[in-house]
Amino acid sequence: MEPKINYRTDLWIDWCPGCGNYGILAAVLKALEELKLEPHKTAIVSGIGCSGKIAHYIKANGVHTLHGRAIPFAMGLKLANPELNVIVHGGDGDLLGIGAGHFVAMGRRNLDIVVIMHNNGVYGLTKGQASPTLPLYTKTKKLSHPNLQGQINPIMLALAAGYTFVARGYAFDGNHLKEIIKAAIQHKGSAFIDVLQPCVTFNDIYTAEFYKKVIYKLETETGWNPNVEDPKEADVKLLAALERAMVSDGRIPIGVFYSNPYASTFEERISQSLGRVYPNLHPSNSKIEEEGKNLFDEKTFEEMFKDFIVERIG
Amino acid sequence: MKEINVVIGGPQGSGIETSMSILSKISAGKGYWILAEREYYSNIVGRHSYIIARISSERQPRSLTLPVQILAAVDAETIFTHYNDIENGVVIYNKIDEKVRLDKIPSMEDLLKLRIMNELKGLGIDPSVSGLMEFMKRERGVEPLPIDFAQILGKLSESYRLDPRQLSRYVSTIVVSAITTLLGLDEGSMKIALSSHFRDREEIVEQNFAVFREVSKLLSEKRGILKLEEPKNTSKKMLVLTGNEAVAIGKIIGGLRYQSYYPITPAADESEILEKFGLQEVQGKIFGPILVMQTEDEISAIASAIGASLSGARSSTATSGPGFDLMVEAISWAGMNEVPVVITFYQRGGPSTGLPTRGGQSDLMAAIFSGHGEFARVVLASGDHEEAMYDAADAFNIAERFQVPVIHLLDKFLANTTASIPIPKLDEFKVDRGIRYKGTGDYKRFDLSSQISPRAFIGERGAFIWYTGDEHDERGHISEETENRIRMYNKRMEKIKLIEEEVPSWRKLNLTGSTSPDFIIIGWGSVKGVALEALEKIEARTGFKGTYANLRMLWPFPRKELKEITSKLAPEKIIVAEHSYGANIASLMATDIKVDEVASIVKYTGRPMMLKEFVEALELILSGKTSRVVLKDGA
Ligand SMILES: Cc1ncc(C[n+]2csc(CCOP(=O)(O)OP(=O)(O)O)c2C)c(N)n1
Ligand code: SF4
Ligand SMILES: [Mg+2]
Repeated sequence: MEPKINYRTDLWIDWCPGCGNYGILAAVLKALEELKLEPHKTAIVSGIGCSGKIAHYIKANGVHTLHGRAIPFAMGLKLANPELNVIVHGGDGDLLGIGAGHFVAMGRRNLDIVVIMHNNGVYGLTKGQASPTLPLYTKTKKLSHPNLQGQINPIMLALAAGYTFVARGYAFDGNHLKEIIKAAIQHKGSAFIDVLQPCVTFNDIYTAEFYKKVIYKLETETGWNPNVEDPKEADVKLLAALERAMVSDGRIPIGVFYSNPYASTFEERISQSLGRVYPNLHPSNSKIEEEGKNLFDEKTFEEMFKDFIVERIG
Repeated sequence: MKEINVVIGGPQGSGIETSMSILSKISAGKGYWILAEREYYSNIVGRHSYIIARISSERQPRSLTLPVQILAAVDAETIFTHYNDIENGVVIYNKIDEKVRLDKIPSMEDLLKLRIMNELKGLGIDPSVSGLMEFMKRERGVEPLPIDFAQILGKLSESYRLDPRQLSRYVSTIVVSAITTLLGLDEGSMKIALSSHFRDREEIVEQNFAVFREVSKLLSEKRGILKLEEPKNTSKKMLVLTGNEAVAIGKIIGGLRYQSYYPITPAADESEILEKFGLQEVQGKIFGPILVMQTEDEISAIASAIGASLSGARSSTATSGPGFDLMVEAISWAGMNEVPVVITFYQRGGPSTGLPTRGGQSDLMAAIFSGHGEFARVVLASGDHEEAMYDAADAFNIAERFQVPVIHLLDKFLANTTASIPIPKLDEFKVDRGIRYKGTGDYKRFDLSSQISPRAFIGERGAFIWYTGDEHDERGHISEETENRIRMYNKRMEKIKLIEEEVPSWRKLNLTGSTSPDFIIIGWGSVKGVALEALEKIEARTGFKGTYANLRMLWPFPRKELKEITSKLAPEKIIVAEHSYGANIASLMATDIKVDEVASIVKYTGRPMMLKEFVEALELILSGKTSRVVLKDGA
């Protein structure tokens, strides 16, 4: 048997004891391990928040970026080196508050990355303010008044934006979450996982006890099949996913809402516009110099930039 | 004549840019040097726009000047707007416009109309084109040259069965044809320029050429009345390009692989040019790929450029003031994480959207000091097209060598100015990728054993790399320990000194002019051209010898070099020139080299500094009459 790759750094983890983030980290580590992703070809790109620290706990490349901007950092990294497996981690405030524009833009692109949202209903690291996923009139521990702003439905937003793999997981259902993460990594295109993550310190409403009562698994329902198996059924499946995401019967479904492997990825679209050399030849493996010299000589320069050259005519 | 100055004006969307392109190509093809700037409103169709150009048989013109000798007016608004900009020359205009009255021009700004109305009243001129023409003929030595546009277009429409609605497209050709006829340029060169501009569209070339013939026949008596001398230029080829194009070419030579942008004037053109060069196969060699990414905003533009850089791709983004402001938080991250990334910053008139399509240099302080926290960065400025091309490439070398963000400051003037320049000497464009990790041992991205830690790229085998905006240890993990904090902080900050020491003096500052000057002009960016030409004029006129100090690296501030050159002169003989209110470079001099109370020439109308007004300002300052002049020329 091949030795297992160790994806865990030896850093002490400074999340609160009992925090849902532990569950998410464990599921990610397990998924990486089972998929045997090469650590140096893997990059964890995170935003700012309790959730953002995860980049340091995983022994792969880790980029702990700015609040809300993990997606654009990840995009540049992935576009410049499409050989990388890029996984974004962000809080609900990070991805749907300050970074909502980037979140939506990623869906339009269908770039082959995975976005994992640590959904705890609060701004953890700034000590418990309401996040964009906290429902209207909810009053968590640190709020002096019930929340006056309504909530975003992350699944619907992701579906509307164009993510081609959309799922929800639960931080304390490790195996289930791990399988979703694996499927998301293997999916070609932008994948989004909304992970329900209890924050034991600031969210006294959406607790583990609460989730235990209301969560159910989509895949246990007879007839539920979120996978687009023929491009023609993409719209029907998308509609079914949206419908399911909207149901408000007090219960919360977890599992895959939608998976469409037929939509063109951003990499494929770029490839088409760049004479198909991409992604084999890409920004970080293509030559730009020879022993400190640029690649141009007079001839190549004049041919390449002929539109700017005016020849003397008399 | 050794040179001729021209203004071509008309409503935005009427083909003024085409006129500029064709005129530049004919001039360069005949061996003349040209410099031409485009002025326009933040508007797509209808508002007044114009080209101001200088064509010379002697040498490359470095600045523009008023008054001009040819004013070519596509509409009446142009004549009213520019009547003060021409003397002893020819006004080419549409005959039918003679009847137009100033108050009947709806597209003209009320404030401008009112101002001109009052001026005309004061001069006792009837506010109509014919009234104004009479005055200009009588008082300004101007020869009116009315052309019946309708007649020419009518003939064209007949011979080629063109839809009358399409005829306005040929107006710009009437104008250029009239100019080339006055200059006595031949048919052959016109044909070549048209073919080059309307590439592959033979029918259109032919139709435009027919327009030229018609105009040329009409003006046969005037052919060559403004003929230029034989050009002294001996080169067989020239590059004719805008500043945006020069920067794009520089980036391509420099090995750009990822460019991001969010559309904004006057930066977007650069990215659009780069898009055309995504993948090139030339002489059997593949160049690229260059990914050009139109992002959802400038935050994403800079963040993705940084992300791309982490994988080892040379990456940059291009923007102007409003976009730069949005990028600042990420630039601070790049400083903290020692990421080489290039931000090409085209300044325009601020604050806020300000004068969105006009020029300025009021973002110096933003470029140097923006961002929270202290970190090393380099700010470069380019004085002309050749410098812009070189700097665009070299910015990557500086960024990678010192592992810092580099801000390349340019401005709208340069971006939208077309110039003829020699083909660059390619072997001067070096590629320096800085210190790289050799792939042995335990990798530490922020290794403290050398001031510049060897760089590994994400995706490289054998290296685990962590980055964080938080203070970090050598591996890139968060650390708030104080000893480490001090060492890391020092490592980052001391780069400033390293850059000061290692960047050669010529890269920081260039001196042109007298070695024992009576006065010195200090400037940066596109002030260079006007300052250099003003030095010659002022010496011829007053005998005062001056030197121009062209600052090409604004940060780290070249204090040693500047101190040396300013130490021998009294403050009033040190003249700062800048497109701003505050002459901000003077504030840097005051704090950094303790040179205070210098004289200044500033302009903040968003229009370029013109040679004549600049020389007059210098005279006022050198004669001790004032220490600050605010320039105003240009419509
Ligand atoms: C531009 C900016 N604004 C504000 C902050 C302060 N800040 C740090 S974390 C955070 C919110 C974190 O909430 P969330 O994204 O939901 O992550 P969590 O801590 O809950 O995992 C904020 C507002 C910041 N770092 N940057
Ligand atoms: S504050 Fe909440 S989210 Fe943050 S570590 Fe503690 S429990 Fe987890
Ligand atoms: Mg949160």
